[in-house]
Amino acid sequence: MRNTWLTENTFHYSDFQDLARLVDEKQRKKIKISLCLPTLNEEKTIAKEILIMKSELMTRYHLLDEIVVIDSGSTDNTRAIARTYGADVYEANNILPNLEAFKGKGENLWKALHITEGDILVYLDADIKNIHHRFAYGLIGPLLLNDNIRYTKAFYDRPIAIRKNKIRPTGGGRVTELVVRPLFSLFFPDLTQLIQPLSGEYAGYREVFEQIPFPIGYGVETSMIMDIYAKWGLDVIAQVDLDRRIHRNQDTKALGKMAFVILKTFINRKSQLGLIDLKEKMFGDIIQYNLVKNTYKAEKTRLEGHERPPIIDIPEYRKKFYGT
Amino acid sequence: MDLYVRKLPEMVDEIRSIRETIITNILLIGQTPAPTFKEKRRTTVFMDRLAEFQVDECTTDSYRNPIGIIRGKNPDNPPIFVSAHLDTFFTRDMVYNYTVAEKTITGPGIMDNSVGVGVLISLPLIFQRLNLTFESDIVLAGTIQSIGRANLRGVRHLLKTWKKPIRAAVCIEGGELGRLNYFSDGMIRAEVECHTSRKSGSLHKHLPNAILVLNEVINEILKIRMPQRPRSKIVIGTIDGGVNHGAIACDATLGLEIRSHQDRIVKELHHDIKDIIEGIRHEHRVDLTLNTISNLNANRLPYNHPLVKCSADVLKSLGIEPVSEPTESALSIFLSHKVPAVTIGLTNGYNYYEEDATMEIEPMFKGIAQIIGIITAIDNGVCDA
Repeated sequence: MRNTWLTENTFHYSDFQDLARLVDEKQRKKIKISLCLPTLNEEKTIAKEILIMKSELMTRYHLLDEIVVIDSGSTDNTRAIARTYGADVYEANNILPNLEAFKGKGENLWKALHITEGDILVYLDADIKNIHHRFAYGLIGPLLLNDNIRYTKAFYDRPIAIRKNKIRPTGGGRVTELVVRPLFSLFFPDLTQLIQPLSGEYAGYREVFEQIPFPIGYGVETSMIMDIYAKWGLDVIAQVDLDRRIHRNQDTKALGKMAFVILKTFINRKSQLGLIDLKEKMFGDIIQYNLVKNTYKAEKTRLEGHERPPIIDIPEYRKKFYGT
Repeated sequence: MDLYVRKLPEMVDEIRSIRETIITNILLIGQTPAPTFKEKRRTTVFMDRLAEFQVDECTTDSYRNPIGIIRGKNPDNPPIFVSAHLDTFFTRDMVYNYTVAEKTITGPGIMDNSVGVGVLISLPLIFQRLNLTFESDIVLAGTIQSIGRANLRGVRHLLKTWKKPIRAAVCIEGGELGRLNYFSDGMIRAEVECHTSRKSGSLHKHLPNAILVLNEVINEILKIRMPQRPRSKIVIGTIDGGVNHGAIACDATLGLEIRSHQDRIVKELHHDIKDIIEGIRHEHRVDLTLNTISNLNANRLPYNHPLVKCSADVLKSLGIEPVSEPTESALSIFLSHKVPAVTIGLTNGYNYYEEDATMEIEPMFKGIAQIIGIITAIDNGVCDA
């Protein structure tokens, strides 16, 4: 395992607070930057993400060229609010409509590649309660100022919002510590240096994202890291301390589903990379149990684990960006 | 009517055009906890934002009130103060999580006073947007330690140490739009604490009940004859005590406020209550004390003061009907230093002191135009005669 990566490729957002310098570098490199917010019923947080990013990184400093919301069919006011505050809003199903439609965060991120114009894409979850523009410029900074870095990943001190608006000072990252880090330790020790491999905020060059497949659900973060690592190595990856992110706490069942998909993605990816030989096909349902009137009842949830191919293989995309 | 007053309605659209940055400032300030006595983090955000907006001077005074100074064209003119208190009623260990909807912003402390502070730090950008420059320096003061027991310490210290003269001041509060304060009542806010003996071996049922003792205090206070003129009142505001339904309460606290247009009456009423406390303490043999939490002197500008008249004109030009009541804000401290001052409200809202406090976004743009109008009037010399 290479231990130097952690010190050499770990940054703090404050290293990139000089926004004028970032804008100069962006202009010198003649590139565009797109911010993508994947949404599903995020009416409580979407407006402030758009407002703060637009004010600080579009109006005051021209670091972002567009803010795009890709929605999975929200039933609340997410899309209307996002439009009110000036984002470009798309429904995922209306992008590349000739393809079979899937629903999931990974689907939105993948389709954002087709809709956006940026050479760099910044992906932020739309449920960040303490949103600050550091979430975007912190991830953009290493990409602009270090030519060898092509992908950046966020990590945080992560307090969890619990009931009655109180904060629990530590917590979060259970799936990371109980599933992902043990797997990385077993098979990819280099990747254990990523403090929060499942964080939902990352940025990178289009040329990276367009060449990797995107699982449509929870597995997208894990597979992205594994694919980038396998294709370009560890040195193109950097991680950035974004200080603090307040997020929703999820119950154990929801985390179980997340762990199921991540495990499935991980094993599939290992198999595809030829690193393990899978003798049997994996099942597609997670089975969890509920106690109903003193009887345990099984609850099966189908988690297919569909995956989009590298978007560069999609003819519409190639035509739009490469004219071929 | 002066030209600038006639132009104010047009300015509302210009101010609205930078709503993203104004709301961003409100969010960045409001989502940073600032309970009274623990305002350091919010102070840092305040200073950082003013520095980012390239305000001429950003500093703190010796009491750590954050201050930004926009230099005026005429260094001989005294400065104009615009102030908003930084602290909130809420504790630090909660999520200051704001929700922005199409027409509203909701979150703890938004109306008191995150919107006020957010707008205060937006003023440099708003001035730039409107191409406004002033003869006087404009001092943007976020004052710490205002609420409750803090007793306006921040603004008291700021004005005690600031070199005079000061041309005039505008104090910004979240709500309500239309508020135009130019006088403050004399006020003493106090707590009556009752503690009964917990000596070991004493029979529980024979202990005096702290809540009943306070009940007697309340009954005696209600017997006090209140003058019709000057207008005065005693508000019994809070009561707290006891442990559970079946146990005699050993500790209880009563919060009250004495208010009057005249300081003399406030002192007399305070003295009366003190006598009541001493009498009951003596007769019931309990530990009963009256502790002053905060106090203010009565101060006022006359209604026909040019600043009040002109402020009313500014509000009316924007279609806002001025409403005047006494206030317990920083206004009193400015007036006590002979600085002409008014307090205005920025927007409409509700649930001020709940976690889901909510402000309306659209009226705020008129609220900001008021500030511009009043500052311009002061800069044009309305208070100098």
